[in-house]
Amino acid sequence: MQKKLFVLFICLLALTLSAFAAVKDPDTIVNAEYGAPETLDPHAEWDNASGAVINNLYDNLIKYVGETIEFEPMLSTAVPTPENGLLKDNGKTYIFPIRKGVKFHSGNILTPKDIEYTFERGFLADNSSGAVTLIIEAVSGGEFYTVADWFEAYAGMAYSDAVNDDREPTSAEAKAKLIGFYNEVIDPLFVVEGDNFIVNMKDAFAPFLFIIVKYAGWGSIIDSQWCMANGEWDWKADGWWKWHDRTPEESALHMADAGCGPYKLAVWDQTNNMVVMERFDDYWQGPAKTKTLIFKTVEEYSTRKAMLEAGDADLVLVDPIYRYDFDNNPDIEVISGHPRAQVTSIHMGWKVQETSEYIGSGKLDGNGIPADFFTDINVRAGILHAFNYDALIDDLVNGLGKRVPTDLPEGFLGFDPTLPVYEFDLGKAEKAWKAAWGGEVWENGFKLVAMYNAGNEVRQTACEMLKVYVESINPKFQVEVLGVQWPTYLKATREELCPLYIIGWVADYPDAHNFFSTYYHSNGYYGKRHGGEYNDFAKEYLDPIIDVAVKETDVNKRIEMYAELQKILLENYIATPLYMPQGLYVARKWLKGFFPHLLRSSGDRTPEFYYAWKE
Amino acid sequence: MAMKTESRRILKKLVKNPTAMLGIFLLVFFIIVAILAPVLAPSEPGKDPFKMLPAKTAEGKMIWSSNPIAPDSTHPFGVIGKYDVWYGVVWGTRSAFKIGLIVSIISSIIGIIVGSISAYFGGWIDEILMRITDMFMAIPFLVAAMIMTTILGKGLDKVTIALIIFGWMQVARLIRGNILQAKEEQYVLAAKALGIRNFWIIVKHLLPNTIFPVIVQISMRMGSLVITAASLSFLGVGAEIGYADWGTLLNYARNYMMQLDKSWFAVVYPGIAMVLFVLAWNLVGDALRDIFDPKMRA
Amino acid sequence: MLAFIIRRLLILPIILIGVTLLIFSMIWMLGPERLIGTYVKSPEALKSEKAVERLIQKYGLDRPAPEMYVKWLGNVLKGDFGYSNVGRQGVLQSIMELIPYTFELALYALIPVVFVGIWLGVIAGSHQDKPLDHGIRIFAIIGWSLPDYVFGLLVLLVFYSYLKWFPPGFLSDASMKVMREGPWKDITHFVTIDAILNWRFDILWDAIRHLIAPLLTLSYLWWAYILRITRSSMLEVLRKDYVRTARAKGLSEKVVINKHVKRNALIPVATVSGGMIVQLFAGTVIVETIFARPGLGRFTATAAVTLDYFSVIGAALFFSLILIVTNLIVDISYALIDPRIRLS
Repeated sequence: MQKKLFVLFICLLALTLSAFAAVKDPDTIVNAEYGAPETLDPHAEWDNASGAVINNLYDNLIKYVGETIEFEPMLSTAVPTPENGLLKDNGKTYIFPIRKGVKFHSGNILTPKDIEYTFERGFLADNSSGAVTLIIEAVSGGEFYTVADWFEAYAGMAYSDAVNDDREPTSAEAKAKLIGFYNEVIDPLFVVEGDNFIVNMKDAFAPFLFIIVKYAGWGSIIDSQWCMANGEWDWKADGWWKWHDRTPEESALHMADAGCGPYKLAVWDQTNNMVVMERFDDYWQGPAKTKTLIFKTVEEYSTRKAMLEAGDADLVLVDPIYRYDFDNNPDIEVISGHPRAQVTSIHMGWKVQETSEYIGSGKLDGNGIPADFFTDINVRAGILHAFNYDALIDDLVNGLGKRVPTDLPEGFLGFDPTLPVYEFDLGKAEKAWKAAWGGEVWENGFKLVAMYNAGNEVRQTACEMLKVYVESINPKFQVEVLGVQWPTYLKATREELCPLYIIGWVADYPDAHNFFSTYYHSNGYYGKRHGGEYNDFAKEYLDPIIDVAVKETDVNKRIEMYAELQKILLENYIATPLYMPQGLYVARKWLKGFFPHLLRSSGDRTPEFYYAWKE
Repeated sequence: MAMKTESRRILKKLVKNPTAMLGIFLLVFFIIVAILAPVLAPSEPGKDPFKMLPAKTAEGKMIWSSNPIAPDSTHPFGVIGKYDVWYGVVWGTRSAFKIGLIVSIISSIIGIIVGSISAYFGGWIDEILMRITDMFMAIPFLVAAMIMTTILGKGLDKVTIALIIFGWMQVARLIRGNILQAKEEQYVLAAKALGIRNFWIIVKHLLPNTIFPVIVQISMRMGSLVITAASLSFLGVGAEIGYADWGTLLNYARNYMMQLDKSWFAVVYPGIAMVLFVLAWNLVGDALRDIFDPKMRA
Repeated sequence: MLAFIIRRLLILPIILIGVTLLIFSMIWMLGPERLIGTYVKSPEALKSEKAVERLIQKYGLDRPAPEMYVKWLGNVLKGDFGYSNVGRQGVLQSIMELIPYTFELALYALIPVVFVGIWLGVIAGSHQDKPLDHGIRIFAIIGWSLPDYVFGLLVLLVFYSYLKWFPPGFLSDASMKVMREGPWKDITHFVTIDAILNWRFDILWDAIRHLIAPLLTLSYLWWAYILRITRSSMLEVLRKDYVRTARAKGLSEKVVINKHVKRNALIPVATVSGGMIVQLFAGTVIVETIFARPGLGRFTATAAVTLDYFSVIGAALFFSLILIVTNLIVDISYALIDPRIRLS
């Protein structure tokens, strides 16, 4: 009896299940990602997942033309150039004529005042996890990275001394300075005159427009009335510090949207790890083609893959390693090979801290390396020639990579495909190693630690490659591959403890300066970490070129300068790129309208959703 | 004397029990594989055999691709994530014993020490030690192990430490309970009356009579420790990539699970090794428990 | 009895504080430079050299550990558990929102785990050392000895990729939309119960459809555990005098097992099952990851791996509370069932 009931139950179950095979909704696009957004406040975000959502909610002053990095108007009706007179005073004044009749999602109408509010709010809020620092750097002509620094330069007192932990001014004097800082420094930077919004830069900064163009979430224009009504900065000089550098959830924009973009936020469901966006019918460029967008976080690749194959997701994130997984599936489209604005490189610390735990004995005795091991050009050459670049690109990332001569991705100003790349040549490497440190290296051998951030398979394999080939040159050479977790990695690189490590850089804006200053400037993010000896070298040969080039508005002159720079880099084995990753888009065939873009968040694997539809 | 007849009785019982025999047979098999690892899967001389090197093709070319390569004559169990599955399974046996033995023995010793001190002295010492035990027990094991390994860094040695730190409490409680019972027995009271030192009373009289349940627990835990280590690998805090360990191999296979036709060998071989290993310890543990349990001796 | 309960309740806060101290000190061994890693996901987010220092200051990581702990404790007493970087909102809020999801999964999992586990255990116990006993035990131990993610992925492969029966996730997008836009009332926050209360059987069915695969995975992993306890407890009871008497009276084996053995053998199983809910609660990490379900396990795992310390401590505190309270309830009910147990 029991058994019969059981069989009946199973049959019923199977029946109902087959009846429930869902019809895939043509008016909804489902995107399954790996990471979840950090925050939806455009001034606090600096990650791919957040940027990908914000891009649909907000619009910027200008945008790119299709796949290119040329500009065209957006909320500004013109792109400032010296020719049209909207870029004046040797690149110090930008004038944006603001479009009329644009509606925010709240129903408010966009005015130039909203844009002034947006920039000032971003500046003063200056979230330390956010990317507003890029705008501060630009508007200050490269002088400051944070508003606090700028305040210190203005007031002669540190921001942390002027405002206490409870966000109150420490004294009447401090309060006066804070108010004065807004009135005298920040307010004059961003001005509205009639229908124009004007930026008065402290000094010229050539890549400024790249920093605020569409796809840069931090350049989003927000609804000032909505913000003030919801507890954001009240636009008064007195008290702006109360909104300075808050934690994400303190911002009214953290889980809300105050934009005028093609989609409005329906819900950011943190529990279910998904963001749902609905079409904004009053969008100034006309409503989007698809009604609903759903971004889901699905960490497990196998689950994402299964969802795509079942049609429950329309596009998913796929690692290059799994590029060929969908080859036999007629319903799935794979587009690959488009460039990405990033480079993965080997970094060598010219001078590591003597106390570092990663240099072994600290001497050339075969049990470690000296702290200044990499100051010898032959050591750098010995490493760079002992790397099988083609195997990395062809076998490991399945061809989704391209070699670049210096740490600058293809398509950027100054990129020169005619420059040579280092060959994988063990003969050359051996010659270099024999010459290194006057032959001492060859004689005594060494033990080198090659580090990568644990979990990144490509970087790990790259380290292993280095190990296999360097060790094959001389049995006394030892390379230890060490994967460390991100927090440790962060600390170790920051404190200049790592002799050799592999990491990449993703462009913040498509300008060579973003890479050259980061990698090679003695004050750049990576350059600085390469140690004192490197900084001395850079100050003498590299910094002057980088500093002048970023202020030069004549494109041809800049290209010349960067050509000279790259020549020095290559001759001295300072440029250390492994490869430039290429894009991989994997989606159902019924999803149309994809075009890649270098700078869009996830732009190599997701469409610009405003133009995408299903059929 | 008593111990000897006891062991003979245990042995007899074990031999008569077919599942226990299966367990013992499997264990012996794994021990042989672990001992013969250098013969079965030779490693490169002078290098740490547990750190796998990328496999080579029949022509001696390095494999740098992560894609699964089906078994052939050079790689009898295939290749996954550029590592030879056969090599990983063979040396993984050693890793499995290493982590199981080290963790269960050391954590049991800690547990025995804490438990016996606590039970023997009683009073406020007992109170404090047991509250500390409660604290450690109140944190879910996987969560605790995850935090520890995140702090200590990746690597099987770090996993071992984490598992030890959060693995002694059960034994401590078990020992404490048993000693509390035994404490009231005549011979202990007699020893006390004779003025024998506390330490010797614990070591000579109390422990031997309470140790068997601990042995049962150790054998049961041996297997599940391997699983826990594998789960930590899955969560990204286990053994480092390329370490010769079953969990690491299975972890490579996870992203190919949806296409088993291409990658079955990467799931099946390490999976079978793991299942049999855990099975072996469980069967032996079950049998030991059936034998030791005084209630069952009737 | 009452004294026992009061004593245990008095110890509770001490243990909870001990737990937080333990985790706090573990995490603080790392130092601010590494702790900040949870707020900085990539080098690109650190353009200026000062960014790290600013972040350390913003989150107050440069203070001495005792000061930070006291500050945290003070905030907790005010109901502020800090910002969860994993949950992207307050820690308390994150945990409260996730509880129903995990609780629902764990409670439902308890049903097949316990009932099927007992059923298997009774069969194995009543056929001790016969082929059926060996077969069942080996079947169950295989589940126990497979890493959960391997079995979970196999379930996903079979029931989703091939059969297309049980999709991953928590609910379908359509059901979520109904829940979001209405008509729908959140009453208990357990979606299966709310669906009935809202008279939406399509959503009920949808929720069940998403539950089956994770339940199947969890059950197979835990059967061995219940089976073992049931079996050994059965064996123990089978040797008792009254069972012998019953047998001697000529009662059939079936009657003996059902009437005399089962009832007495199940007491220890009942106590263990209570404690198991905690284990299930914390053990859902991997199932939640594979089946892309929201839940506390996944939350805690992500927090632990990324060292999101506010979340880690909050979650540990929560789990400890559950564990201690459950154990207390188990102890009390055990004492009620079996008066011979002395509570001390």
